[in-house]
Amino acid sequence: MTNEEGRIVVAGLTKTYGTLRAVDGLSFTVEPGTITGFLGPNGAGKTTTLRMLLGLITPDAGTATISGHPYRALPAPNDQVGALLEASGFHPARSGRNHLRIYGTVNGYPPERADQVLELVGLAGAGRRPVRGYSLGMRQRLALATALLGDPRVLILDEPANGLDPEGIAWLRQLLRSLADQGRTVLVSSHVLSEVQQLVDHVVILHRGRLVRQGALGELADRQAWVSVRTPQADRLLATLARTGVEQARIQRTGPDQLRVIGLDAAEVGRLALAERVELHQLTTEHSGLEQTFFALTAKADQQPDSPLKEAS
Amino acid sequence: MRRLITAEFHKLFATRLWLWLLLGSVALTALYASLAIAFGDTPDNPTPSLASPGGQRTVFSVGQGAGTLLAVLAAIGLTGEFRHQTATTTFLATPNRGQVVLAKLATYALVGIGHAVVCIAVTIAIALPWLNAKGIQVPLGGNGIPATLAGVVAAVAIFGLIGVGLGALLREQVATVVGLLVYLFIAEPIVTRIPALDSWTVYLPGAAANALTQVAQANQDFLPPWQGGLVLAAYGLLLATAGTALTIRRDIT
Repeated sequence: MTNEEGRIVVAGLTKTYGTLRAVDGLSFTVEPGTITGFLGPNGAGKTTTLRMLLGLITPDAGTATISGHPYRALPAPNDQVGALLEASGFHPARSGRNHLRIYGTVNGYPPERADQVLELVGLAGAGRRPVRGYSLGMRQRLALATALLGDPRVLILDEPANGLDPEGIAWLRQLLRSLADQGRTVLVSSHVLSEVQQLVDHVVILHRGRLVRQGALGELADRQAWVSVRTPQADRLLATLARTGVEQARIQRTGPDQLRVIGLDAAEVGRLALAERVELHQLTTEHSGLEQTFFALTAKADQQPDSPLKEAS
Repeated sequence: MRRLITAEFHKLFATRLWLWLLLGSVALTALYASLAIAFGDTPDNPTPSLASPGGQRTVFSVGQGAGTLLAVLAAIGLTGEFRHQTATTTFLATPNRGQVVLAKLATYALVGIGHAVVCIAVTIAIALPWLNAKGIQVPLGGNGIPATLAGVVAAVAIFGLIGVGLGALLREQVATVVGLLVYLFIAEPIVTRIPALDSWTVYLPGAAANALTQVAQANQDFLPPWQGGLVLAAYGLLLATAGTALTIRRDIT
């Protein structure tokens, strides 16, 4: 790959705290122009990974680069990378505008830039008030404004929806989508899949510091589709399906008159039922919520007893 | 570096803390100056008389008391980054953490010079008319007073380095501030009053500052001014270097 611009590459990243391996040989890439969800339950190592990516935590092993460089080697990092991290705060006595102007000064941005980003995140009216009077949602917007200060082509956002009301989340989605459409790289972490499900194109799923899955959101959802059938002749249909080569294990009886068929689509099930003259009351294709897939993936990772290090719970 | 220092001044002036602590230092200076003049010539006071150059230098040295609150201001400035979790944003903007600490050291040394100049002005405003009324003409350009005033400026600036350095080492705001106040206002004044310990208490930071500004005190020895200056500067540099090194190495979580 020759064009590194905007690409995030994490390779073999490892960080151990005492006996807890918080991040364990983690590798993944994030492409420009996409919104990538960085997912995992609380304590999976998401924040530690993002802080290593941003040069705030020194990894024990591995590398993390943005546009081909480690964060700390980027010449003017805020021009290229904007970040919103948990446990990053504001001086309560400073106004939101002063906060932004301070970091604008550090980067050599004109003072008007502070007002522009305040406007962008919908805080123009509150900019001159001290941050101590801000709600959680307003603080989150100010943190986002700080990340956007340098008009960066890479955005790294740790749980950005925290504290936002549904309206705020909808607004955030729209904003991030428009930023990604401009060709920017957007990495968004969350422990609640449903929060980012309608937002992200790709997912990187992390559990206990390890990569569980990386890929397009569509692939992940399609993995868990099935046909749900209701029929008063469930036994006959089951026998038919079994006879026509569908493995028994992939047909589940979910009720006295209900079957779940994995591996055939609704049309095929319907055709077989018609051929056998089985009466159908319902025939639908169902997807597992991504949430269930997410739980399944992270639960599976749980069962691997290969790590000698125990996680403190 | 210039932008970093400007940003540090923005941070400082975004709240009023610098002003309150400056007013505190002004009040302390006024109090110390008044005490030094009011009791300077009482018969049982063994310090040099106000008519002597040594007595006058002691009066004009009181502005160095601003060093304590300046160190507190500097420590709050540094530890505030951790207390309010702005350190993350600060180090994201400037991943070269050494430069951030350096900018804070420079900023608080400059603020220290400002506080010292204000306190010197207060000292002069109180001492000149009062001593005049006692019939003592003080030549501000003589009797070693310029050296004392320069010492006051240097001492207060170095206390800025001490505050930043100690803050970077401890990170914990309350502990740093309480530690500084207890040490400079209580612990050191007590141990320096023990004559048996004089041979090593002269090397303590407060005593070194006294030496630098040529304070004369009863029953207490001080180093020569230049040595006092070197010792105080050594504290400043040592704490600044250790604090910077630790800030560069530690994870920001």
